[in-house]
Amino acid sequence: MAETAPMDPENAKIDRENSVKIICLGDSAVGKSKLVERFLMDGYQPQQLSTYALTLFRYNTTVNSKEVVVDFWDTAGQERFSSMHPSYYHQAHCCILVFDITRKITYKNLPNWFKELREYRPSIPCICAANKIDVDYNVTKKAFNFAKKHNMPFYFVSASDGTNVVKLFRNAIKLATEYKENSTDFMDEVMRELDNFDELNLSSDSGLDTAPNSEEKDEKEA
Amino acid sequence: MSIMPQQCGVRFDPPALVLTYHNHRGNLHRRTMPIRGFTKRSGITRTAESLVSNPRHRKYLENISRPQIEKLLRIIQEHMKGISLDETLGAIKMENTIDPDEDLNKLDDIALSRKKAIMDEDFEKNRKKPGDEGFEYEVEVDFLPAIETSGWDDQSDPEF
Ligand SMILES: Nc1nc2c(ncn2[C@@H]2O[C@H](COP(=O)(O)OP(=O)(O)OP(=O)(O)O)[C@@H](O)[C@H]2O)c(=O)[nH]1
Ligand SMILES: [Mg+2]
Repeated sequence: MAETAPMDPENAKIDRENSVKIICLGDSAVGKSKLVERFLMDGYQPQQLSTYALTLFRYNTTVNSKEVVVDFWDTAGQERFSSMHPSYYHQAHCCILVFDITRKITYKNLPNWFKELREYRPSIPCICAANKIDVDYNVTKKAFNFAKKHNMPFYFVSASDGTNVVKLFRNAIKLATEYKENSTDFMDEVMRELDNFDELNLSSDSGLDTAPNSEEKDEKEA
Repeated sequence: MSIMPQQCGVRFDPPALVLTYHNHRGNLHRRTMPIRGFTKRSGITRTAESLVSNPRHRKYLENISRPQIEKLLRIIQEHMKGISLDETLGAIKMENTIDPDEDLNKLDDIALSRKKAIMDEDFEKNRKKPGDEGFEYEVEVDFLPAIETSGWDDQSDPEF
């Protein structure tokens, strides 16, 4: 089951080579957190950032006998966190779009989540998950066109009884890893450049001269 | 000595909870519990807390559920604000049911966690967790191809 590692900024850099980032998107209360928790099971200490807006889970696994570190970004659906979305999308390798089969509005809102995601990540793989099927198994006989229309895999799942949760996440990890290996995404290239740039910047910053601010000086003289 | 609550209601002015109950001999009694210092701005949870922990009332309130007490306090408070009983009851009912067309993204933390608490009932009822009979980590089900429409896809909407 889940092999876990603590989030440690020291490790973050070393891990970047073989790490993937998977984000969960969808309306409030569709069950994003419950799904991640069901996949990872108990005994897991996530990192909670800024009260409920974002929870990070790190998960170690192997894909095609290669070790992979997976960062799950479990985000909150509440509108007041929408200004944080760009940082969720940043460098994500796969997205799980979740709706709640008991609430039509969560399905109707999928295009909004998807559209926003695509502004930042035009080509990462997405998976659509219809959650809470335990409430009414008859729903699995019904067609939901959104996924087909946008060419994404579709799963009926339940975080409550566990149906297809592991399958959903395994597939997400597989798609994320493949995407990362084969990515010719222009944005990714730019991001990689920026990453390197950040690191350079950091080291040169440390030797920076702490000259007094000239504007401030002008003001005092005036 | 234990009591059997029959009904719990409110008195608006001065604010009080009113309880009718059977005592251990089966006689019907009524107890009025004034809520001192209760205003439009008082915290409901705190007021409920101090009522049930009040040694004079504790015995009478221990068999009344906390949500019930909070609901009664809320009714008194809304009345103080000039809101009718019907309106308050309607609002409380809305808060305690899931409307499939309500956008929960717009709720604040307290309202959202109330909705999630309602959802938790089904979640816990259907839950299979480690230790339960028949629990498996991996549950894979391939459902047959759909045989009917969900009715959620609007042909005129290009997104679906
Ligand atoms: N019956 C049932 N209920 C579920 C299932 N998954 C989640 N729930 C219920 O839905 C509620 C909300 O689930 P969360 O995981 O908190 O939803 P979320 O998508 O993370 O919500 P935000 O973080 O607010 O955006 C939970 O409190 C559960 O009661 C499921 O598979 N079946
Ligand atoms: Mg959540």
